[in-house]
Amino acid sequence: MGLKVQNVSKTFGKKLAVDNISFEMNKPGVFGLLGTNGAGKSTTIRMILGILKKDSGRITWNGKEVERKYVNFGYLPEERGIYPKIKICDQLMYLAKLKGMKKKEAKEAMNFWLKRLEVEEYRDLPAEKLSKGNQQKIQFITAVLHNPELLVIDEPFSGLDPINTELLKSAILELVEKGTYIIMSSHQMASIEEFCTDILILNRGKTILQGNLKEIKESYKANRVELITKVDVSREIQEEGLKIIKELDNQYEIAINDEMQAQNLLKRLISKNIEVEKIEVKKPSLNDIFIEKVGDK
Amino acid sequence: MRSLFTVIAFTIKDMVKRKSFIVSNLIILLIIIIGFNVPKFLSGITSEATKVTVLDNEDIFEGRLDTLHDQFLELGYEVEIDKTSTREQVQEKVQNGEVSSAIILTEANNSLHFEYLIDGMGVGTTVPTDVISAIQLTYQNMQLAKLGIPEDKLPTLNTQSNISVTSLSSDESSSNIFVMMLLSIVLFYAIYFYAYQVSSAITVEKTSRIIETLVTSTSPRIIVLGKTIGIGLVGIAQTLLLILVAIICANVFLPAETAQMIFEMLQLSPQMIGIIAVYYLLGYSLYAMLYALTGSTVSKPEEVQSANGPVAILAVIGFYLSYFTMMNPTSSLNEIAALVPISSPFCMPFRVMMGLSSTNEILLSIVILIVTIILVAHISIKIYSSAILNYGEKVNLKKMFKMYKSKD
Repeated sequence: MGLKVQNVSKTFGKKLAVDNISFEMNKPGVFGLLGTNGAGKSTTIRMILGILKKDSGRITWNGKEVERKYVNFGYLPEERGIYPKIKICDQLMYLAKLKGMKKKEAKEAMNFWLKRLEVEEYRDLPAEKLSKGNQQKIQFITAVLHNPELLVIDEPFSGLDPINTELLKSAILELVEKGTYIIMSSHQMASIEEFCTDILILNRGKTILQGNLKEIKESYKANRVELITKVDVSREIQEEGLKIIKELDNQYEIAINDEMQAQNLLKRLISKNIEVEKIEVKKPSLNDIFIEKVGDK
Repeated sequence: MRSLFTVIAFTIKDMVKRKSFIVSNLIILLIIIIGFNVPKFLSGITSEATKVTVLDNEDIFEGRLDTLHDQFLELGYEVEIDKTSTREQVQEKVQNGEVSSAIILTEANNSLHFEYLIDGMGVGTTVPTDVISAIQLTYQNMQLAKLGIPEDKLPTLNTQSNISVTSLSSDESSSNIFVMMLLSIVLFYAIYFYAYQVSSAITVEKTSRIIETLVTSTSPRIIVLGKTIGIGLVGIAQTLLLILVAIICANVFLPAETAQMIFEMLQLSPQMIGIIAVYYLLGYSLYAMLYALTGSTVSKPEEVQSANGPVAILAVIGFYLSYFTMMNPTSSLNEIAALVPISSPFCMPFRVMMGLSSTNEILLSIVILIVTIILVAHISIKIYSSAILNYGEKVNLKKMFKMYKSKD
């Protein structure tokens, strides 16, 4: 069951855009597809959606080769696109009908989502009259209006303010609860960490890291300490032979090789009667892992 | 199939709701209504007879000019025969505007001299030659009568030859070359205008990036065909509406005889209407498919003109090939123009109406056109599928060929 991508490759002329990638989604949830610009994310997404034909490999949905007519897709492309001069309700109705919805159910779904994303008041306006953020919410509605089984969202939060970001996040979580399979592509690592159970990092078309996000992070040793004190302790940190990564108003981020170095630093501070407000040993974030894996290559 | 109807319905709704479409239609309708009222308006202006004074103070005509009063009225002139005034008095009447002009008659050596007085020669001012001719004829008759020819014999000296024209062709309209040339121009503009709309509709979807969402919902083939059929239907509806309004206006605003004359001139047999409809649809389909291709290669709105340029050139070549060879419709170049797909939609209806093409030639022309449309549609849809994901890089012929060869 679910989505299975097996040994899929794609070339454009002499350029290898996607090189033998494989992953699968066995249960509803959010799968993170990461990579730098031009890494092959969009090509992979377009192959999954059947917009581009793969050169080799298999992409199946519930055991059947993926095709537009067999899979109820939803797609929020990275490049936002809506008809600028057409009323929101007219274009939503058009896209819902193209997805096979009947007028009545399309109208009900449209009313629900316009209300859910707080854009009801714009339904009779042409899209060009809406702010960028509201246009993005409309575009999200076009992707979910027909209640898709597989939803692909590319940079869903770019351009949204914090309040609308939270609104969209809650909507995505509701979709997961309803049993939707979601592939999310984003450069915002915090969002990926928040939603995704499994990830795949692409670089120049090749898979450089993939698996369960928790397990990936577990496999990394602690590499830094976050320290907050009442006074300046930069001398004590240097005495301990540690390197300060970031420093601001007695808040430090310190590089360590193992947890013992953090304990030794804490002992030194206590011995000097320095009040420690917070000390936390941290494992690398997804951002760190991404930079480590992709940045140096 | 359902998706195709959805695309067609959306295209029609989008097109007829556009402000530019509504305004242009209103303007065309207004032009038609005004156009049909022009004869009425002009006759309204000229219905009042022009006042002219004819001064015959030498009494050359001995009162005979009074009998011409009704004849002058028919010619549009209210002529006052003045036998008593002086030249200066008549001149004053013209200057005061009491009459628009005056004709002063003098005789010397058995020859009649006309002096025409007018306040100023403006645009549209003409010498009343009909009035002068009638006076001249009366003078000649008077001279002939003086020579002893009885008055009842005079009309025989003024007989005019009548020419009657008999068309040897059974089709009355076949000789109406100018009507057909006009129809070819209308066909060209209708085909070109609506086909261009297909390019615009596709360009809007490409440049607004909605296309990527659309192709996950339905196939590129459905989108291209839906747009082409939708715009084509709007074109047919708009053309029928304009024809209907023109017919109503002709009946309501034109004098019955004029309307009848126009209808007779434009009378087309059902067969001819069928031929025009077939070539309109096929011509539109060909150019719409070509425009779908160029429209899909555009990344930015400002590229529309240059991308559509080659199709515009093809259309113009096709039209002129057809139009200029119509001057010599029996030439082999005109025969070729009726078979070449880019010109046959504008040329073949003309040849059929002129009775110059055999059924086989018509069928051959239609088959060539249909095969070309299928071929162009196949290539256009194939390139469209690849081109819609192409942004930034300009699409040239080499790239188009690559897109055509690609699997996507």
